[in-house]
Amino acid sequence: MRLRGIVFGFVVLGAGGGLLARGATRIGVHQGYAPEQPIAFPHKVHAGDNKIACLYCHSAARTSRHAGIPSASVCMNCHALLEKQTTAIQRLKEAVQQERPIAWTKVHNLPDFVYFNHSQHVVSGVACQRCHGAVEQMDRIEQAAPLTMGWCLGCHRAEAHVPTSTFARVAANVRGRPTPFAGEDCTSCHY
Amino acid sequence: MSRRPTCDEAMPRGDGHDAPLVQIGLPTGARSTGFEATRRDVLSLMGFSLGAIGLGAGCRAPVQHAVPLPSASTEMVPGVPNLYATTCGGCGASCGLVVKQRDGRPIKIEGNEASPLTGGGTCAAGQASVLSLYDDARLRGPVWLGNAVSWSEIDRHITTMLGGGGSDRRAIVLLSPTINSPSTRAVLADFRTRFPGFRHVVHDPMSLAALREANRLAFGAAVVPHFHFDRARVVVALEADFLGTWLAPVEFSRQWARRRTADGTRGFHVQCEAGLSVTGSNADLRLAVAPSELGTVAVALLAAVARRVNDAGLAALNATGLGQTAPHAAAIDRVADALARHRGESLVVTGSDDVATQLVVGKLNALLGNIGGADGPIDLARPSLQAQGDDAGVPALIDDMNRGAVSALIIWGANPVYDHPDGLAFRKALGRVPLTISFADRRDETSAHVHALCPDHHFLESWGDAEPVSGHFSLAQPLIAPLHDTRAGAESLLAWAAPAAGAAGAGKPADHRLYLRDFWRRALYPRAATAAGFDDFWERTLERGVVELPGPAVQTHAFAGDWQGAVRDIVTRASRAGTDHGGYELALHETVGARDGRHANNPWLLELPDPITRLTWGNVASIAPATAAALGVATGDVVTLTTETGKLELPAFVQPGQDRRTISVAVGYGRWAAGKAGDGIGANVYPLARVENGVRRYAARVNVAKAGRRARLAPAQTHFSMEGRDIVQSLTLASLEHEHEHEHEELPNLWRERLHGAHAWGMSIDLDACTGCSACVVACQSENNVPVVGAEQVRKSRIMHWLRIDRYFDGDGEDATTVHQPMMCQHCQHAPCETVCPVLATTTSSEGINQQVYNRCIGTRYCANNCPYKVRRFNWHNYTANDDFPYNMTSPLGRLVLNPDVTVRSRGVMEKCNLCVQRVQLGKNQALLQRRPLADGDVATACQQACPTGAIVFGDLADAGSRVSKLLAGRRAYRVLDDLGTRPNVGYLKKIELKEKA
Repeated sequence: MRLRGIVFGFVVLGAGGGLLARGATRIGVHQGYAPEQPIAFPHKVHAGDNKIACLYCHSAARTSRHAGIPSASVCMNCHALLEKQTTAIQRLKEAVQQERPIAWTKVHNLPDFVYFNHSQHVVSGVACQRCHGAVEQMDRIEQAAPLTMGWCLGCHRAEAHVPTSTFARVAANVRGRPTPFAGEDCTSCHY
Repeated sequence: MSRRPTCDEAMPRGDGHDAPLVQIGLPTGARSTGFEATRRDVLSLMGFSLGAIGLGAGCRAPVQHAVPLPSASTEMVPGVPNLYATTCGGCGASCGLVVKQRDGRPIKIEGNEASPLTGGGTCAAGQASVLSLYDDARLRGPVWLGNAVSWSEIDRHITTMLGGGGSDRRAIVLLSPTINSPSTRAVLADFRTRFPGFRHVVHDPMSLAALREANRLAFGAAVVPHFHFDRARVVVALEADFLGTWLAPVEFSRQWARRRTADGTRGFHVQCEAGLSVTGSNADLRLAVAPSELGTVAVALLAAVARRVNDAGLAALNATGLGQTAPHAAAIDRVADALARHRGESLVVTGSDDVATQLVVGKLNALLGNIGGADGPIDLARPSLQAQGDDAGVPALIDDMNRGAVSALIIWGANPVYDHPDGLAFRKALGRVPLTISFADRRDETSAHVHALCPDHHFLESWGDAEPVSGHFSLAQPLIAPLHDTRAGAESLLAWAAPAAGAAGAGKPADHRLYLRDFWRRALYPRAATAAGFDDFWERTLERGVVELPGPAVQTHAFAGDWQGAVRDIVTRASRAGTDHGGYELALHETVGARDGRHANNPWLLELPDPITRLTWGNVASIAPATAAALGVATGDVVTLTTETGKLELPAFVQPGQDRRTISVAVGYGRWAAGKAGDGIGANVYPLARVENGVRRYAARVNVAKAGRRARLAPAQTHFSMEGRDIVQSLTLASLEHEHEHEHEELPNLWRERLHGAHAWGMSIDLDACTGCSACVVACQSENNVPVVGAEQVRKSRIMHWLRIDRYFDGDGEDATTVHQPMMCQHCQHAPCETVCPVLATTTSSEGINQQVYNRCIGTRYCANNCPYKVRRFNWHNYTANDDFPYNMTSPLGRLVLNPDVTVRSRGVMEKCNLCVQRVQLGKNQALLQRRPLADGDVATACQQACPTGAIVFGDLADAGSRVSKLLAGRRAYRVLDDLGTRPNVGYLKKIELKEKA
């Protein structure tokens, strides 16, 4: 009787402690975060059905550390000509007419002490879906990956290792081919 | 319900099962002797766990928003910096700049490498001036009689009061410091056309009027020559801090450093001055000379040189026998030797406020053949335009104001109530002028008393141009749309000079950019002699920032000044002064941090340790050790300085190298209307000197008395002895021949070799080229979001600068020599800090950088304890958004200057130099985007970029062909404290001394 009580107590505590630990280590991890946006923009329609390239709208990802959310003028490149009207498109056109910037809710947020450079990854040939998941199937954008350091390192360690001096110099001399060079140094991302 | 049996009752006794197996303190506080698994207990236990989960997973991060521009811009991509060329407005030198702009705002100032004058260097004040753009003390808009109004309203008031048309001859006076901008001169000319009674009074707080007056008398042109220190094998400077604050320190530092070669062509630099200046601390030979003796030294030097060049006309000089009675007679002889051996390639320069001394020096240069010729060290034909102050102007203006002869006064960039000795009289006279206008950016000491405040833009918000040296032009373009409702000073003048309604050309708005462009098309483009159209020329010049457009040379004649009269004058004064011994003299001087006082509200400059005194947050009275002993004064004792014109109380500072008769005090402190940070810091010494015979004086007879109390100073360096360790090493040119290439003594290695990456970043610092100007310190602070901590924390040795410039003296008499050593993290490959970090927050990267990971650090501070170089800085407080530290990181406006690529550290973490790894990473990123390997010189650290002499070189030690590898393999290279086995990647090049130290 007492033994049963003790075991039960341990199980509950264990479960509780486990939940606590899981909760504590998941602070700041927002996998599955899919907030409502001011305009219900469906990537499924644009990137999926219409096969618009990611970099058409998120062109900054090619040259900048930020991928950026496109200005409304990029939307209007097409929507100024299209007849299709939905509530979302209506809201977009109102914002454009009133010259009001749209305050999108950022889904993928890294802490301030992390430096992530999109262009480094895009130019090295990492597909957007690798980290952002199957965006072309998402109606509402959801954070597909945990974006934790451990998760980043999984790729950094497997795909592109810290090269030895000889290799790096040889690789660097081969013109025209960007050398995947993911650092494992702390200062690759923390400074 | 029936009570369930307890353990006691259920279990049989007597067989060792008495005591309960588990004693648990239940959350409900119930004490029990056994475990009663009631439902209530289970529920409360679950509640506890759920509560814990709630604590863990219930913490919510704030929702972040991303707000793109409504209309996409190809020019501004978020995250990609833009660089624009412009011109610095930090002082009168007008150095060319390239400013880094992120997301539409400037965050980092760098020098323009295309400038033939500065070559890309900057100074401390220039680096710090980006912060003054985000100063909370700036006016938000125009103010009329104390009330905020609109521009159209204030224009109405002003144009009404400025009065009628061309027949109006009442005096309208513009008071400003030197204006070397050709387009602004054109605006003033247009203004004069509209208001014929207009005149311009030029007031430079630290003026070169004596030099200009002497040149007018001697050569027929009141100009400041363009000096070329690199064309001189021998440089003799008499009270001219040309490496620190005099005229064009960035350009002069670059020139001077070119002469610091390690071979027979090395230049010889002699400095004669009262107080120890940055320039004096780098001279090969320094002679302490009181201000009243400077003239005598100049005459003695002239006599000594005359003897060697056998100029018959100078025989009269020898008769005065002055050579023997002058101070430092033997040294002067030696210097004259050197000068005579290098005729035509020597330079004697003086910043003296005495016209007679300037004439004697002019004669000396003429005798040595240093003047004239396109390649000579002194160019009068294409002079400097950086100092055109007229000292007689302000006293005359005060008289005119009191007489009622001034109908309107416009003050543009001047602050005479603070920085002129007759400041009080000026303030009173202001009340006699019907209309007073100021373009000042804040309610400062002078503008607080005017009718109309029409705030000008900050130079980073302005269009404009500059001609620092005749024929050398540079453009200025805005880096940001005006933050506040300010208006360009030129636009204000154009608006008020606009033709009245109904007249020809009326109704056209004054646009500074269009005016500037039009002026360049009319007046300067024709000089370009280029086949390209104007639009092309304009765009290219804007992009490049600087352009050389040869113009008409200034007409001068050979030296014809009355140098004999000057010599007589000096000798008479010297003999008179000789009769009243025992008095002290006060000398005013600028420092690299405070300059003339215009930056008094800039926390970066307030906290910048002075290279000579190593003090922050205030000025002191520098006294020679022997004098201090005689007066019974120690560092920190407050003394009262009394001159004819004023009285001041300041803490004393015992200064090796100081002339024993002179007390030196820095100007630029003691403001009372600069802003919250600068008000009340230090004391204002400007009123203690005076204007004499139309010339500003920067020295005066002074009485020194102890005030009977002490003051607490805020030194950044409190320990000045190397304790017998070879921290700063030097050698003579002769011994350089015998020096071996740097041999790296390989101590046995206790550690396993680390995996090396593609690069090994390192740095070389040339102690012979470093002047101690501290541009690098401010550049590092600007680039890396280093916080300002305030005087109280500095006293606790908690200053946060990642890079410091240690200063050591050799000796403490008047002949003390100085060395400056920039010290930052040495990036040891066997770092003592790494082995003691319990959480491995600091490790060495595969590329040799000792990296500090802020998010891992738990604040043990063992690493700082173990660092032999003491370069680690701990964040003792949150310096951001913390009212206890009301500096730029607490103000929302001030935070706009922060570099978004560098983490802002919070309380409890350690930080230190990381060799600008953000720039390294960016460099690698750029190379990747451009599909090319990283080349030597692609990446420059902030300190390297700022340095005007090129003393700091950063690069890849794994590349044997890189500059830094070659430098550190050379004969002068050494590592600091390398006998500890730390193997630093930062190396130094030994300073070259004239003679062996005793």
